[in-house]
Amino acid sequence: MALSKKEISILIEIVFSIVFAFIFLPYFYENQDNNLILMDDLIGKIIEILIFTVIYFSVAYSLLEFVFKKKETKDERDDMINSKSYKLGYLLYEFSLFIFIGYVCSKLQNKELLNLTGNQELYNGFNLTDVGIVFLILMLLAFISIVKSLYQFYLYRTV
Amino acid sequence: MILKNILKEVRQKKSYTQEELGNKVGVSRQTIISIERYRYKPTLELAMKIAQKLNIKIEKLFYFE
Repeated sequence: MALSKKEISILIEIVFSIVFAFIFLPYFYENQDNNLILMDDLIGKIIEILIFTVIYFSVAYSLLEFVFKKKETKDERDDMINSKSYKLGYLLYEFSLFIFIGYVCSKLQNKELLNLTGNQELYNGFNLTDVGIVFLILMLLAFISIVKSLYQFYLYRTV
Repeated sequence: MILKNILKEVRQKKSYTQEELGNKVGVSRQTIISIERYRYKPTLELAMKIAQKLNIKIEKLFYFE
């Protein structure tokens, strides 16, 4: 299966999203119930993510340019494929936003109900922390990015 | 009704490669391949450019079946 430069650059994005989900999301998942997470620790993690992103894309795109020296023309087919895939990404983003808001509201409402029952143990275990929200947002963004890029790749192979 | 074309035949008759024709009309080789395989419907502007470069009438190059 011969892949074009554009298809490989989409694969680079997909691999990044998957690697990001496997390397960095567990940190936020493991700490989502931890309200004591220090700001320094969080900033350190964000810097780590930024450094990883810069190194990953620099190396990947340098290698891509080294292997495919010839510059590819961007034309109306690329525009059509991009608009279709970004439209899907946008729809997923809107849908996820509703799910996210619904999830947060239901969690807050359930917490209030648990408070009324007086079960302190259950009440304490039902927290929605800042890290939990960050985890949810990052997870949704990674998921949307993977689906959008996969659809883009599919269109490049079939259109 | 499917929009078909005789691009491949005309291009080969004029001894152009897909790459050459793509360069002449400002699109990639993949786009020419997609048009020849009826996978991608070009815009009117691109269809006219291709017809002009191949010196053929647009309605002869593209047809409905």
